[in-house]
Amino acid sequence: MSKVVEVSPTTRHEGHSKLVLKVNDAGIIERGDWLSITPVRGIEKLCVGKTMHQAPKISSRVCGICPIAHTLAGIGAMEASVGCEIPQDAYLLRTILQCANRLHSHALHNILTLPDMYIPGTDTKINPFTPEEPVRTVAKRLQRLREVGQTVGEIAGGEAIHPSNPRVGGMYYNISPQAKQKIFDLAKEALPLAIAQMEFMIAVLKNWENRGTVTVGKTEVEIPAKFGYHDQGYMAVDPVFDSSSLDFEPKWDPDRWTDVSPYNWFQGEMEVSLEDADYPVGGTTKAGTKTWPQMQACTSVPLYDGQPVEVGPRARLVQFKNYDRKGAMGLQIARQLEYPDCLYTMMEALDALDCNGSVLADEIPQGDGSLGWNANEAPRGCDVHLARVKDGKVQEYTLLVPTTWNFPTCSRALEGAPWQLAEVIMRAYDPCVSCATHMLVVDESKKIVAQKLVQ
Amino acid sequence: MDYLGKYKSAVAARSTSAEVLRCSQDGGIVTSMFLYALEEGIIDGAIVAGQGEKPWQPKPIVATTPEEILSSRGTRYNVCPNMSVLKESVRKYGLDKVGIVGTPCQIQALRKAQLYPVGLRDVCDKIALAMGIFCMENFSYQSMTQIVQDHCNVDLHSLKKTDIGKGKYWAYTNRGAVSQIPLKLTHKYEQPGCHVCLDYVANLADISTGSVGSPDGWSTVFIRNNNGENIWNKAVAAGIFETKPIESVKPGLELVTKLATEKITKNQKELEHRATFGVNKGLRNPYI
Ligand SMILES: Cc1cc2nc3c(=O)[nH]c(=O)nc-3n(C[C@H](O)[C@H](O)[C@H](O)COP(=O)(O)OP(=O)(O)OC[C@H]3O[C@@H](n4cnc5c(N)ncnc54)[C@H](O)[C@@H]3O)c2cc1C
Ligand code: SF4
Repeated sequence: MSKVVEVSPTTRHEGHSKLVLKVNDAGIIERGDWLSITPVRGIEKLCVGKTMHQAPKISSRVCGICPIAHTLAGIGAMEASVGCEIPQDAYLLRTILQCANRLHSHALHNILTLPDMYIPGTDTKINPFTPEEPVRTVAKRLQRLREVGQTVGEIAGGEAIHPSNPRVGGMYYNISPQAKQKIFDLAKEALPLAIAQMEFMIAVLKNWENRGTVTVGKTEVEIPAKFGYHDQGYMAVDPVFDSSSLDFEPKWDPDRWTDVSPYNWFQGEMEVSLEDADYPVGGTTKAGTKTWPQMQACTSVPLYDGQPVEVGPRARLVQFKNYDRKGAMGLQIARQLEYPDCLYTMMEALDALDCNGSVLADEIPQGDGSLGWNANEAPRGCDVHLARVKDGKVQEYTLLVPTTWNFPTCSRALEGAPWQLAEVIMRAYDPCVSCATHMLVVDESKKIVAQKLVQ
Repeated sequence: MDYLGKYKSAVAARSTSAEVLRCSQDGGIVTSMFLYALEEGIIDGAIVAGQGEKPWQPKPIVATTPEEILSSRGTRYNVCPNMSVLKESVRKYGLDKVGIVGTPCQIQALRKAQLYPVGLRDVCDKIALAMGIFCMENFSYQSMTQIVQDHCNVDLHSLKKTDIGKGKYWAYTNRGAVSQIPLKLTHKYEQPGCHVCLDYVANLADISTGSVGSPDGWSTVFIRNNNGENIWNKAVAAGIFETKPIESVKPGLELVTKLATEKITKNQKELEHRATFGVNKGLRNPYI
């Protein structure tokens, strides 16, 4: 007889979500739903009618961990719609900003991941807040990496959280030679730290995978061999930056994308029948509670070629570097492997940057309502923004955000794992639920489906 | 009421550099200080009033070279929003140690930004030297144009220097002519916002300076806090400034105190007046 257990809210990720898990007698997940219960803010709706300059500044506020992605994808979509090519030096500054944000974001995610992990060779779980070694050194290194990322973001992007420098047509300003030198110094300082952090994390993640069993609360559970495996495909447009409909060879195709409503994807109404008061911290949902994923999920379900796909660090490495490690730890390890490139790419872009170069297009067309899109490789994966701009005003604006893509994929990846480890799989996706929560649902013919669900 | 603010010492001083003095407003304190601080690595740039689009219209700039600092010498008696580039100085210019000059209200803005950094992330810890200049009142660009062109009858393009002193507004031309008008003619052109200002000698700066109290070509200087004192002492030891005890110069602190008292008393009255400006209602008071 299967039972239903619910973890709500989930922790150590951005935003508000829950896990509704149907498990067998051994507590192994037969079918899992991971869903957003973050209130819909309706960014896409409220941007309609606003100017093309304003909309991306609004969508930046979707999320404060990866605002760079939404700012750049939003602006990129506007530029793609109006047909505006930006100058090379603006592109380089955006690249630097992109790398800086990825560096900070991955380091932040390490802090969220580590409490699940053990100090290799011991049964001690890692508490990033402990003043004791060897963890203290790691925590300090992570904070320095984040500081470097945020400082570089401030200089190249104007602001680390909600960058002010990017604008439709390029950037508001170039940086001074002194500022360029400062970024270079910071990148040089961060590179060995990033490599050390990458090596440390990979050792810790592999150690976890090879442990056999781990303790969650008071329960010792076995790690299954195919922990977090799924059969969905991958989607990525670039190892580092982006692709847009202005590209000579665009790496994403709007015709392959469809949306389904959560009603068609998630489980129906159920009653929680299994509870564990010892699940850290505060226990699971009380038995007898009604739960209804298909009605409660606050995201749409975007599909690529009719299937949910995985986006993020592993998807990028699979597409561009023949990476083949599967499972939740495979995804985690892929994320660590991206560390050095954040800094190498930043330094290459700096080398090419001309501080006296113009950073604003000579002409910024006002748009005729054509569809344009930009897919930004956010820290968590491909963030596609689609827009139609006419006479400088936004007519239509859609955000297909990484965690939105990952929700259904990750739900599939939960199957076969003990329910106590469901959050470990979920965290491997570095979820950003505020990012994921948006509300338009379109069907195969790209028509907006009536909103019977999301009130 | 503490009319001159807190300070550790006050002196009369002037720059020892003839090059600075050639175009500075008074003793060249601000310019020499920034040149010295830049050279010594105390600051890596300074926010000063550069040259704007129109003649005698200042524009805030982030100066990172001695040339840029030198070319912003002299008082422009109209508004220059120096704080507007504060954030930019640590962003696109990448400064770590910012020098900044400003009127008392601008130094207030700076200190408020440091204590309550609303929208000013990573700015407050990068302020290395705040130079305040005395200020009785300021004018809009249109006002200043009108005063100089209509009242003083001097074309802005031939204007070499303007000064307020001894109850008069002075305009000096490049070809040596001087014209002056009584200050009371300029009152209607003052910025209304200046009428609620309760600070004359930049009480919140590290070092503040102005002309009043010292002879022509010299400046009155208040060294206000540890940071100001450290830098000032080093600069004096390095021979950047010539100093005299403020007690030994005429008219000295007595006149500074008198003018400060006048400004603050007058503006406090204005604030009280605003409290009962309407019938059973008043205007806002930012100090409460
Ligand atoms: C609006 C105004 C009113 C003033 N009122 C008085 C007064 O009542 N009594 C008095 O003793 N002194 C007053 N001063 C100060 C005085 O005019 C000199 O600025 C001061 O003595 C510094 O002279 P200095 O030779 O040391 O500076 P300098 O070496 O000549 O440097 C002056 C510095 O001031 C900056 N500056 C110029 N114009 C402005 C502006 N509009 N806003 C902000 N910064 C500016 C310049 O960029 C430069 O860095 C006033 C100044 C201003 C701007
Ligand atoms: S009088 Fe006060 S408010 Fe007016 S410019 Fe001077 S310091 Fe600022």
